[in-house]
Amino acid sequence: MPTSPVLSLTRLPMFRLALLYSVLFAFSTLVLFAFIYWQTAVVETQRVDGQLMHDAQFLGHLKPAELKDTIDNRLMPDFRRVAHAGLFAADGARIAGNLPDLPAELAFDGMVHRAEVPAAHLTIRAVGLPLPDGTRLVIGRNVESLDNLQTVVIHALELGLVPAVLLALAAGGLASQRTRKQLQKVHETAERIMKGDLRERLPTLGGGDDLDRLAASVNHMLDEIARLMDDMKSVGDNIAHDLRTPLTRVRARLERARDSASTQAEWHEMVDRAIAGLDQALRLITALLRIGEIEGGRRRAAFEPVALHQIAAEIAELYEPIAEEKDVAFSLSLAEVPLIAGDRDLLSELISNLVDNALKFTPAGGSVVLSLEVEHSGVLRLAVADTGPGIPPELHDAVFQRFFRSDASRSIEGYGLGLSLVDAIAKLHGFTLEIGNNDPGCVFILRCGE
Amino acid sequence: MTTDSHVPVRLLVIEDDQETADEIVSEFAEAGYEVKHAADGPQGLALAGGGTFDLIIMDRMLPGLDGLAILGALRQAQISTPVILMSALGDVDERVRGLKAGGDDYLTKPFVMAELGARIEALLRRPALSRETVLRVGSLEMDLIERTVRRGSREIELLPREFKLLDYLMRRPGQVLTRAMLLENVWNYRFIAETNLVDVHVGKLRKKIDAPGEAPMIQSVRGSGFMLVANG
Repeated sequence: MPTSPVLSLTRLPMFRLALLYSVLFAFSTLVLFAFIYWQTAVVETQRVDGQLMHDAQFLGHLKPAELKDTIDNRLMPDFRRVAHAGLFAADGARIAGNLPDLPAELAFDGMVHRAEVPAAHLTIRAVGLPLPDGTRLVIGRNVESLDNLQTVVIHALELGLVPAVLLALAAGGLASQRTRKQLQKVHETAERIMKGDLRERLPTLGGGDDLDRLAASVNHMLDEIARLMDDMKSVGDNIAHDLRTPLTRVRARLERARDSASTQAEWHEMVDRAIAGLDQALRLITALLRIGEIEGGRRRAAFEPVALHQIAAEIAELYEPIAEEKDVAFSLSLAEVPLIAGDRDLLSELISNLVDNALKFTPAGGSVVLSLEVEHSGVLRLAVADTGPGIPPELHDAVFQRFFRSDASRSIEGYGLGLSLVDAIAKLHGFTLEIGNNDPGCVFILRCGE
Repeated sequence: MTTDSHVPVRLLVIEDDQETADEIVSEFAEAGYEVKHAADGPQGLALAGGGTFDLIIMDRMLPGLDGLAILGALRQAQISTPVILMSALGDVDERVRGLKAGGDDYLTKPFVMAELGARIEALLRRPALSRETVLRVGSLEMDLIERTVRRGSREIELLPREFKLLDYLMRRPGQVLTRAMLLENVWNYRFIAETNLVDVHVGKLRKKIDAPGEAPMIQSVRGSGFMLVANG
């Protein structure tokens, strides 16, 4: 008996899924933020650079005197001290502007570069322009706001991403915990069922999730198994009952033989009758075993091409004298049909059972017709029609059950197993079996190839 | 029961169930056979391998060595002693497998001793393959080519199904033929019929063969089956 495994949280599929989703979510958020940051920074830098180039070109064309004034005028309204400018003499001394000295390592090539202004603790975008009079012009713009953007993005990431991931993990954990509890219950229930309590059912939470649906399926299966077990039990009861009847009779006969037989002949007669009773019990057991064997389906391996009309003709030949004895008109209408895959012995047993049954229930003067034809689209139709008492429609399913015998048939010898055998053989071959009304009597119709 | 009354027929019974074995041994010892018993596969094969038996009756399932394995070993060694397999496995596939492995007959347990006895006799007196075109038993004569039957001077009209049955009987005169044997061999039908099929067939044939006033040739054998005897 396997012991119930203790389920660990991290081994649950749901938790693993939550973990995977968290990682994916974090990664995609990072990518998104990186993209936003990169886009903003680049576009803003390009805008600033463009303006600086434009300004530099404008200023570069001014006369030296105008240049000094313009620089001062331009810087005047800039309270935020975003714009920077400086006009430096050839020796580096400042002539105008708000830059204290020449930015270190700034190339004077008229292009925008990143530049450090150590004296003012500044990092700026700047363009350096050598002027024709030997002075040097530097204009720049503070881009600290762009640097701030990076900080903002990282903050946003911290604020958004970390709680989101934690939340996802927590939700995954919770859901897993719920699943874990349910699975644990399933395990416990399954164990009780294995111990033999077939009335147990798996718990469902009613959420309609996959696990619930699975549990519902398993429960449905358990219902079916319980039903089959009940069936088997009732079949078992029937077997016990049907065996007890002949065995009781045998016992009585033997007892009578022991007590009252006075001559050898009498004694023989009684023992013979006892043996006949035992034979009946044995036939019953054999028939049951055969049904079990056929229902087990192992015989399908022995299928080979068989000619149904030939088998039917052979069975008819076997039963003709029986019909004559009973004064029942037995007629045949057998068309030559294509070969089908089947077990010859079983099919002859099937037809023989149907014919046997029909002859048994048809009174003297009645008729039995065995016919075989090709129906629409190649379906073979074998029918055995009689003029017996017929079978009421509400009993059409019941007659195929083991041991079923209608009240009308109780007086006629039989074991109630013939038709279940027929049913088992038809099912093994994938044939359909149908009972129709022959008015009067009934007709058993076997269709193959549907 | 034997063809030569001075030399008893030697039977070998390989059966692990002591009770069944005892029953078979005493039944056939009483009937005048010389019966040896082996209780398991290896012992059975050792005895059968001598090739001194006229017939072997063997259970399909045996401890040590399976019935089919023994059969295979015997046939491999060119020992063609007839073998009747007995088995609780009624499965037709099992039967086919037993016969394919070289078995001559297959009997499903439980069976009555008369059935086994009839089958033993049938195997011991297996009709030789003859080129005869006329079968004769007493005054009964069957022409296989003309497909006519006469008893003495009386012509007998038979239906094809009756002809087939009589053909089988005439090749085995004086031999008990059980209902199961007739169903199997005449109609190739291997199941227990609920109706008394065989009795009706034999009855119909008997009416034609044994006319009123004539000595009965088709006789019923109590508890076993039927026999064709050369009466008159």
